[in-house]
Amino acid sequence: MEPEPILWFGWFRADIIAEYAPLFWQGLRMTIGVTVIGITFGALLGLLVGMARLANARHAPARHLTRFLLRWPATVYVSFFRGTPLFVQIMLMHFAVVPLLMNPADGLIVSGELARTLRQDYGALLSGVLALTLNAGAYISEVFRAGIQSIDRGQVEAARSLGLSYRRTMYHVVLPQAFRRMLPPLGNNAIALLKDSSLVSAVGLSELAYAARTVAGAYSRYWEPYLTIAMMYWILTLALAYAVRRLEHRYGRGDTR
Amino acid sequence: MAPASPRFAFVVTFFVLAAATAAAQSRPLVVGSSATYPPFAYETPAKQIVGFDVDVIQAVASKVGITVRLVNTPFTGVFASLDNGDLDLVISGVTISDRRRQSYDFTAPYFEARQLIAVPVASTVRNLQDLAGKKVGVVTGSTADEVASRTFGRTSANIRRFDTTPLIIAELVSGGLDAAIGDNGVIAYRAQEHKGLKTVNDPGFPKEYFGIVVKKGNTALRDRLDSGLKAIVADGTYARIYRTWFKTEPPLPTP
Amino acid sequence: MAAAIRVDALTKQFGTLPVLRGVSCEVQPSEVVCVIGPSGSGKSTLLRCLNGLEEATSGRVTALSVPVHDPATDLDALRAEIGMVFQRFNLFPHRTVLQNLILAPVAVRGLAPAEARERAEALLDKVGVLDKRDAWPNQLSGGQQQRVAIARALAMQPKVMLFDEPTSSLDPEMVGEVLAVMQALADEGMTMVVVTHEMGFARRVADRVLFLDEGLLVEEGAPDELFDCPREARTRRFLSKVL
Ligand SMILES: Nc1ncnc2c1ncn2[C@@H]1O[C@H](COP(=O)(O)OP(=O)(O)OP(=O)(O)O)[C@@H](O)[C@H]1O
Ligand SMILES: [Mg+2]
Repeated sequence: MEPEPILWFGWFRADIIAEYAPLFWQGLRMTIGVTVIGITFGALLGLLVGMARLANARHAPARHLTRFLLRWPATVYVSFFRGTPLFVQIMLMHFAVVPLLMNPADGLIVSGELARTLRQDYGALLSGVLALTLNAGAYISEVFRAGIQSIDRGQVEAARSLGLSYRRTMYHVVLPQAFRRMLPPLGNNAIALLKDSSLVSAVGLSELAYAARTVAGAYSRYWEPYLTIAMMYWILTLALAYAVRRLEHRYGRGDTR
Repeated sequence: MAPASPRFAFVVTFFVLAAATAAAQSRPLVVGSSATYPPFAYETPAKQIVGFDVDVIQAVASKVGITVRLVNTPFTGVFASLDNGDLDLVISGVTISDRRRQSYDFTAPYFEARQLIAVPVASTVRNLQDLAGKKVGVVTGSTADEVASRTFGRTSANIRRFDTTPLIIAELVSGGLDAAIGDNGVIAYRAQEHKGLKTVNDPGFPKEYFGIVVKKGNTALRDRLDSGLKAIVADGTYARIYRTWFKTEPPLPTP
Repeated sequence: MAAAIRVDALTKQFGTLPVLRGVSCEVQPSEVVCVIGPSGSGKSTLLRCLNGLEEATSGRVTALSVPVHDPATDLDALRAEIGMVFQRFNLFPHRTVLQNLILAPVAVRGLAPAEARERAEALLDKVGVLDKRDAWPNQLSGGQQQRVAIARALAMQPKVMLFDEPTSSLDPEMVGEVLAVMQALADEGMTMVVVTHEMGFARRVADRVLFLDEGLLVEEGAPDELFDCPREARTRRFLSKVL
């Protein structure tokens, strides 16, 4: 039984959206959730990788260890995730890497019924978040690296000459200053991640783009579903940009540069 | 009954279309097909699109004296491409449905299809109803999507939608789904590629028919394709093509 | 009594560029030593080798009886005992004046914040910027910033203070206030190594002056000797330009 079409402005089939409203709301929550998790873990990962890429040691054995165990792997990781399309990473993760590790038949880490349950309930979420986090981490590590490198060497020397260790110098002196400069590029990365999360619908994660695809598939109508999610993404990116500006304002004190 | 002015418009449209068709005689018609759908249409390693649909449209085309150019178009985009004129017609295992008939014109059926369920060999599922509460994979916007949406609810979280049949089969194999539903030809073809899968035929599924799709109102082209279809059935070409791809005799297509 | 700092045949190269070419000298406890010399002669590099900010290419540096360039040395612990003041202040711009002074005593020495704060305020009072304790570094004049930087180093209660041209980036009218603080410090018996172009200060305050040229310690002596009757021609040439 067909519901009565509701037309807005003579062409917008609002009833279609209303019919699928739960999918759009759930999609909105999922998009926000995936973005928040991706940014949080991406930032943590980016910080670690960014520092790994800058790692160096004074004396011989440690010097080689840092190069082979930290700098090179970090460089390869960043290069791969910045050098391949996110869509490809998502497909690889969901249909290749995760099934290899987690599979009812012969998963390397999880197998049997647990693997089936996990995959059915969290499979798309897991691989989507993994791919987004790894991708964001690669980009954010470059932001951290540039931010750290932009801090005057004199700051590090002043801190070290007071007896602060490398870690304390990073924590108390370099990172707080770098963070302030990194806020605008971090904000851009967050917005990019929010938009790119739409690619995860390809593995069946029910976020905003998934809702739009479902509706478009059912009705062969594109204006209504895609305009709807476009507006939702737009509002989200505006809110995110506003939040970043507030943070910049808040942490902007005392910086002369 | 339609009022006078739309009828007039219809007549004008008819002549314009007829003229356009005549003028376009030399131009090859652009045929859209989603080539991830063996054995109906798929790409060979040499990037050639082959399959049952391809052979049918080519046989029809040569019968009625038109030339066609095949374009690989993702299934989710075929209707939009037809609407905006990128494609002249679509042959891509499209099920004729009342809803689609409202927006597009179909030829007579060229294939009798039914939905088929793929499940792991150990599964006890016997029919569609057994899938209630289970995770079911379908291709977004496909007939299976319609059936599943109708049966389990449009916004049910248990329906998992993907872009292509290979993806729902891959998801089923890796344990993310309890079942995959799709057109019998494709599901059977895919399921026999994986040892761990079997197919379940629910006789309750209605019979469906695949048709060639043209833009709404392009009756000139549709009629031509229909006459071509009749001709290849009559001279045995259709049966030969059918045997090539499905290894069995065709049921006679019902016009 | 052991020397506070001892330098033996120290050489330093940046790539193929030799900057220090075998420098040996000593600084005794409570001694004030000024290092002078033309630009590029290696003064800063020598100073930075004393607290391990710079690696040595060869030779030995011993500070407070610790071999600075020994891989086994805990440089952080050593540096906590050696204060350093830079030409460009290097205050932490994201921390207020007071927070600049409190950071290291709390983080490194494990001092209670309240105690560190008390000590910091006393030091700020001593260098004359107590009223600026809650200001941000970029709100201070150059002279005030450098005095805060000195107080920041003193907050660690170092045994030795290193100064690298502490007045070179100051407007002339602010040089005096910084030199006065340094002179007071010297009068209290602080061990100091001061790289400077302020010949008047060196003459007034230094116990000994080292003249460095092209990576070599050309001449050293009491200020009156070195300024009034330099033995080496190179020293004379340099002094004739700057005096
Ligand atoms: N990190 C470095 N890398 C390469 N060369 C350097 C480095 N630091 C200093 N130098 C070079 O070493 C030489 C000595 O530098 P240094 O800073 O010790 O001179 P200085 O006597 O302090 O001069 P100034 O009076 O200009 O401060 C200069 O030629 C300088 O360019
Ligand atoms: Mg210098």
